[in-house]
Amino acid sequence: MDTRPPSQSEHAPLLTASGLEVLYEPAGGPPVHAVRGVDISIGQGQLVGLVGESGCGKSTLGYALARLLRPPARIAAGTVVFDSTDITNLDRKSLRGIRHNGLAVVLQSGMNALNPVRRVRGHFHDVLGAQQRLHAAEVDNTAETLLSQVELAPSVLDRYPHELSGGMRQRVAIALALALKPRLVVFDEPTTALDVIVQRAIMDTIARLQAEVGFTALIISHDLGLVLGATDQVWVMYAGRIVERRDSPALATGPLHPYSAALLACQGDPTAEKVELGGIPGSPPDLSKPPEGCAFAPRCWLSGPPCKEEPHEKLVGTGSVTCHMAPTKLEVPKLIRRVDGPSEPIPDSGHGAKVPTTASAAVAKGRGRHRDATTAEPLALIDVTKDFKTKRAAPSEGVQAQGLVQAVAGVSLRLEAGQAMGLVGGSGSGKTTLGRMIVGLERPSSGSITLGNLRVDKLRTRDLPRYWRRVQMVFQDPYAGLNPLHSVGYTVGRAIRNHQGLKGDDYRRELLRLFDTVGLAPPEHYAAKLPHQLSGGQRQRVVIARALAAKPQVLVADEPVSMLDVSLRAEILHLLGELRKNTGASLLYITHDLLSARLVTDQLVVLRQGHIVESGPTSSVLRSPSHPYTVELIAAIPTVQQSQTVPAGAITERPGEPV
Amino acid sequence: MRTTIFRVAATLWANRKARAGLSILFVFAAVAVLAPLLAPYSPTATNFARSAPASWSHPLGTTGSGQDALSQLLYGTRISLFVGFGAGLAATIVAMLVGVVAGYARGPIEVILGFATNLFLVIPGLPLMIVLAAYLPTRGVGTILVVVSVTGWAWGARVLRSQTATLAAREFVAAARLAGEGIWRIVWHEIVPNMVSLLAASFFGASTAAVLAEAGLEFLGLGNPSTISWGTMLFWAQNSNALLTGQWALLVAPGLCIALLASAMSLVNFGIDAIGNPRLRER
Repeated sequence: MDTRPPSQSEHAPLLTASGLEVLYEPAGGPPVHAVRGVDISIGQGQLVGLVGESGCGKSTLGYALARLLRPPARIAAGTVVFDSTDITNLDRKSLRGIRHNGLAVVLQSGMNALNPVRRVRGHFHDVLGAQQRLHAAEVDNTAETLLSQVELAPSVLDRYPHELSGGMRQRVAIALALALKPRLVVFDEPTTALDVIVQRAIMDTIARLQAEVGFTALIISHDLGLVLGATDQVWVMYAGRIVERRDSPALATGPLHPYSAALLACQGDPTAEKVELGGIPGSPPDLSKPPEGCAFAPRCWLSGPPCKEEPHEKLVGTGSVTCHMAPTKLEVPKLIRRVDGPSEPIPDSGHGAKVPTTASAAVAKGRGRHRDATTAEPLALIDVTKDFKTKRAAPSEGVQAQGLVQAVAGVSLRLEAGQAMGLVGGSGSGKTTLGRMIVGLERPSSGSITLGNLRVDKLRTRDLPRYWRRVQMVFQDPYAGLNPLHSVGYTVGRAIRNHQGLKGDDYRRELLRLFDTVGLAPPEHYAAKLPHQLSGGQRQRVVIARALAAKPQVLVADEPVSMLDVSLRAEILHLLGELRKNTGASLLYITHDLLSARLVTDQLVVLRQGHIVESGPTSSVLRSPSHPYTVELIAAIPTVQQSQTVPAGAITERPGEPV
Repeated sequence: MRTTIFRVAATLWANRKARAGLSILFVFAAVAVLAPLLAPYSPTATNFARSAPASWSHPLGTTGSGQDALSQLLYGTRISLFVGFGAGLAATIVAMLVGVVAGYARGPIEVILGFATNLFLVIPGLPLMIVLAAYLPTRGVGTILVVVSVTGWAWGARVLRSQTATLAAREFVAAARLAGEGIWRIVWHEIVPNMVSLLAASFFGASTAAVLAEAGLEFLGLGNPSTISWGTMLFWAQNSNALLTGQWALLVAPGLCIALLASAMSLVNFGIDAIGNPRLRER
C-alpha cells in the first residue's frame, strides 16, 4: 500500500465549518449548547478522527457537518461549506443532490440500520437501483464489487441481516454507504458494540478502503487508541469545542492539551512490564449552563488562575491547541499501576491514587476486617458445560445437529480464596454464561460448580438467596442494572435489609458506610438520587455497593467498565482493587479488555467458543502467549504506547496495518 | 410510586390532546355528580305529555312513556361513567394479573395463561357478551359490568405480558434477585411500576370499550330496561320509533354523549402514548 504525502497543505479543503454552533432546544427543558464555536476543515482524501468522552458533542458535530440534525437540534450560528457549496441552510431537495455523490454517513447503530425483512441484495437495489437507474444485473455486479471491498463474499447478498454477525452487518452498512461513491464519509462510532478483534478488523478495512477508493472520512469515536492508529489527523473535542487538532503521530507522541494527554493516559499496553493507567475524575460539564473560562479547568490537574478566562486557539505546526497552559510538559497522574513482581507505590497525587497490592497481601490485610479468612472458600468448576436450545439451526454458527448451541464446553477452573482471576475472550466465548452459572442465575447442563463444600449447581431456587450472601455479581451495564424508578439508596438498602437483616440506625449507618466505601461522598447526598441523576461512573459505583451489601466472599464482575467512558475505567478498576484489598474477597473478573484484566487480576483464563485455550498468571499469559487466539486478542489492542517510542516524523507506513 | 403518578399526570396535562380529553372527562364527571342539581325533573317521573317535541320546558322533548329526556340524559351519565370506569378497572386488574404472571412465570402456568389470553382474543367480543348477558340469571348494571370485564381484559393482558417479559430480562431484575428480593417484591416493586404508562393506556382503552359495550348491550335490550342510562334511552327511542315521529333528539343526544365520552378517553390515551414513547411528545 502507498505512503501518503505527510503535508496536509496539499489537501484542498473538502469540508469547512466556521463558527459552528449547535443548540438543542428540547420542549420543557433548558437549551443545550452542544457545539460551541467550531472552526475546522477536512482536506480532500484526509482521514480524520473526532474523539472525546460521551456528552462532549462529537456526534452532534458530525451530524451538523452532514446536515443530519433533527429538531430539537439546530445549527444556531456559523457555516458549513462542502465542496465550495454552503450547505448550512440548504433545502432538503438540494441537500439530497449533495448526498448522492457527495456525503455519506455510517450511523452509530449502522449494523442495526438494515431492514430485518429484506435480504442484503434488496438493500443494494434500494440504494443503487433507485438512485442511479441501473439494471438488476448491473446492481448485482456493483454490489458484489462493494462487498468484496469490505471483505465479504458475494453469497452475503442472499442473506437476511439476522443471519450475519454484528461485524458483517457493519461491513454491509459501510458497503452501502460507499455505493454512491461519496466524497466524504462520516463514520459515527463504527466499531462500538462489536467484538474486540472485529473492531480492529473494521478499522483496518476503513483505513484500507479509504486509501484505495480515496474518499475523505471523519471517524467519530470515544476510543482514542483505535482512532490514533488509523487516522491522519485527530480532533479532540471537549464540552462542545475542539480543544486540540493535531496530526495523529504528533498527538500520540506529544499531546499538548491536558485533556488529550489524560485521554491518552487511559490507554495502555497490557503486555508491558509496567502498566499504568490514568483517568479523568469527574464528568464533562452540563452544556445547558455553558461553563465560564476553560471548560476543562475543574477536572484539570494543571489549572491555575489564567484558566478562569476563555482560552484561545494557539497554532502548533499543522494543528492547534486551545489551552492556557500549553505547551507545558504533561505528566498525567496515574490512578492504577501494575508491575511484574512486587508493585511499587504511586505517590499520592491528590486524586486519591493508591496501589492495589498483590493477592497474598490482600488476603492478609482483609483478615478479620469483614469476614474471617477461615470462612473464605475456593470456588471450583469441574467440566462445566452449558447448552442452549436454538429454535432454528443457523449453519454459520457452529450449531450441533440437535439444534443446541454449546455456550460453555467443558470448563474446569479453580478460584482460590482471595484470588483475582480474569476470564477473557471475545463475544460468544461463553464468558458471561460462565459467570451467570457461577452466581446461580443459570444452571450448567453438566459438570459441577462448588464453593467450599456447597454444590452450587444443585441449589434449589429458594436456597439461592442464602448463596448470594457469599457470591455476588457486579453487572455490566450500569444503565440497565438499576431500576430507573427507585432511588439508589433504596436499591442498595434493599440488599442490606435482605442480606444483613439490619434495621433502624444500624441499617442507616451501613447504607452510608457502603456509599462511602465506593467513593460516593457525601453518602446522604447520593443515596437520595435517582439513577438518571447520576453519571455512568457513579451508577457503576452504586452497582458495586449493592453487590458489597451482602459482604460476599466471591465477587463476579461481568465487564464492569465496558459500558463506561475510558476516562472512568481507571477509577472503577482502582475501586475494585481497593475493595478486594479491604475485604479479602476473591474476584472473578470477566472482560474482553486485556488491559483492565492485567491491572486487577493475578490469574488469567482465556476462553474461546466455550473452551479454555490458555490459562496461567496474568502477566506471563499476556507477555508470552502460547495460543494463537491469545496472540490475536493481544494484537487487536490499539498500540498507542508503542507508537509513542517512535519519533513523530518517522511514521510513514499506512497506519492500521497489523504491527 | 406517588412520584410516578405525579409524573404521569404532569406529562398527560402537558399534551394538548390529553388535556382536551381530560377536560371533557371532567365535565362528564361533574355532570354525573351534580345530576340531581342540574336535571330539571326526576328522570323517572312519567307525568309529562308523551313523545312531546323539544320545547323550552323539555329541551330534548319527552320519551314515549312521558319522561323528560334531558333529565334522563344527565342521570344516564352516571351509569355510563360507572360501568365504563368500573369495567375498565376490573378488566385492567385482570389483565395485569394474567399478563404479569404469564410474562414472569415459566412452564405450564405461562402456557395456560397464554392460551387463555389468545382464546379470549379470537372469540368475537359482541357475540360472547350477548351470550353471557343472555344466560346470566340477573339483569342490570352489575351483570353488564361483569360481562364487559370478562370480555375486555385479553388485549391488555397480551400487551402487559410482553412488556413484563421484556422487563424481566433486564439486568436490574436479575440484580434485584441477587440482592435477595423475593418474587412478589420483584413483581410489584421492580416490574409493575415500570409499566404504569401501559397500565394507564390499558385502563383507558378498556374503559372506552366498556362505555361502548354497555351502550350496545342495553340498546339490544340485554340490560335492565328500567335503569336510566344512555343505552336504555337508545333502546326505548328505537322501540318507540323516535326517528319516525321526528324525535331525533332522543337518539342523537345519548349517541353523541357516548361518542364524546369514548373520544375523550381515546384523547387521553394519546397523551399516555407520549409518556411511554418520548418521541411522540408534542414539540
